[in-house]
Amino acid sequence: MSQNEIRIVTKIIREMSLFLLLHGYKDFDLKLVNDPNHTYITITSAPLSEAMVTLILENLNRKRQLEIETYGWELLGDIDEKSDFAILGSLIDRVEHSLKNNQSVLKLTRVNQYL
Amino acid sequence: MTKLKTLSQRMFIPIIAIILFAAAFVVDTWENILSGYLNILQSPSVLVSDFIYIGGLGATLFNVATVMVFNIVMLRVLKFDMSGPIFAGVLTIAGFSFFGKNIFNSLPLYGGIWLYAKTQRLEFKSFMIVVLFSTGISPLVSFFIFGTGWPYVYGVPAGIAAGILTGFVLPAFSAHTIRFHKGYNLYNIGFAMGIISMVWAALLSSFQVDLRLGGPTSEASHDALVVITLILSTVFLVLAYLTDPKAHRRYRELMQSSGRLVSDFVREYGRPVTLLNVAVMGYISLAVVLVLGLKINGPVMSGILTVMGFGAFGKHPRNALPVMFGAWLGVVLTGYTLDSVGMMIALLFVTAVAPIAGRYGPWVGIVAGFIHIIITPFALSFQGGFDLYNNGFAAGFAAALIVPLIEALKKLKGEDVE
Repeated sequence: MSQNEIRIVTKIIREMSLFLLLHGYKDFDLKLVNDPNHTYITITSAPLSEAMVTLILENLNRKRQLEIETYGWELLGDIDEKSDFAILGSLIDRVEHSLKNNQSVLKLTRVNQYL
Repeated sequence: MTKLKTLSQRMFIPIIAIILFAAAFVVDTWENILSGYLNILQSPSVLVSDFIYIGGLGATLFNVATVMVFNIVMLRVLKFDMSGPIFAGVLTIAGFSFFGKNIFNSLPLYGGIWLYAKTQRLEFKSFMIVVLFSTGISPLVSFFIFGTGWPYVYGVPAGIAAGILTGFVLPAFSAHTIRFHKGYNLYNIGFAMGIISMVWAALLSSFQVDLRLGGPTSEASHDALVVITLILSTVFLVLAYLTDPKAHRRYRELMQSSGRLVSDFVREYGRPVTLLNVAVMGYISLAVVLVLGLKINGPVMSGILTVMGFGAFGKHPRNALPVMFGAWLGVVLTGYTLDSVGMMIALLFVTAVAPIAGRYGPWVGIVAGFIHIIITPFALSFQGGFDLYNNGFAAGFAAALIVPLIEALKKLKGEDVE
């Protein structure tokens, strides 16, 4: 995993953390798993509201756009409004939400670009 | 219907190229177009080089169409979807082909970005946003070849090398500069190129190379350009409703967007409403020009097309009008006048800071527009004239100044909690 990939993953974590904190979810666990080609980020928190889940799934489950990633990734981690989430959506390949033991589990998958 | 769908996927850009190509031959003869086009190719192209003055309207439209076709073909070969940023890039290229860009001076920059992509082991197409906007510094190539007075044996390799080197630096540098203004300057690459242009200008000056700035503009084609703008805007309006008779349905939602980078309206709201917004931005730009009694020359036409292009990538009436009004106040309340081409185009290009109005409201937008327009003339002398997106350079400073200030004030008022 290259240094640039590490920097991008770190920004994704910061963006997701900021997003949850700014929306009042103060306690959550975050787990990062890497293999040579993928990064998996799992976030476990108190149950997310339906609106939050919809917002996250709608914005992050979009087609990956590498041209947005190479241009705008430095803006990540300084959340402002919905448009920031649109950038994040260009860096994530898949997001899944499930409920486990009355907790929300978000699993983000990214296919690493900078190998 | 299938053809309409295919063209819709390309945001009807090929149609625009065809209209401009046809217009070239309506307004001028083959012979005039050819000789004018050769003049354009041999122009140093630094700010402000009005190609309508240098080569005539027919040759300029021919230049615009050829540059557009080249980029459309490149996008097709690379199997690109016409997203908001790509659409904005193509129309911006079209606009600046009225004053500064041609195929010849753009290619070395593309070559530099291709080399950078190779070194990063990424596809060239990953950098397509930078590729399209990189041509804003293409006068650097032309200046080395045709503006220094050097023999071609030195000038040509120097120009190509300077273009490749600049293209190589630009992807990493523009990704970095976006943080400086936090995405509130839509012409981020213009800001990055302003700094690179400043370094080149300093280097050339240190070797006593005369940096000739400016040149006359031609307002003789005003009426024809008004008609062309009206046709283009109306074409986009008609196509918006042809692809979806209820294209306006999501317009209110689109206008709620701040427009901050990276806002892809095509991806967020769909093609029909984006096309509608492009048309509206075209009408607004034309109205501003006509109401203020300005004459359309190459640079002003470039401003109109760029504002239309960014109708897919961050600009809409709600965030654009306040900054335009602020810029107009900047002219009225200071010693500046609209006699200068720099001020004229700044009234359109001030929309680079439109996201500030979109995010913080119209009053802050007016202040942003005011600050932008008083910075712009200084930005030109600072960067040396190789960066055609001089307003992007100025807008970077305006946004970097205003955004942290407003954020600090919000904290004071306890409004910083989302």
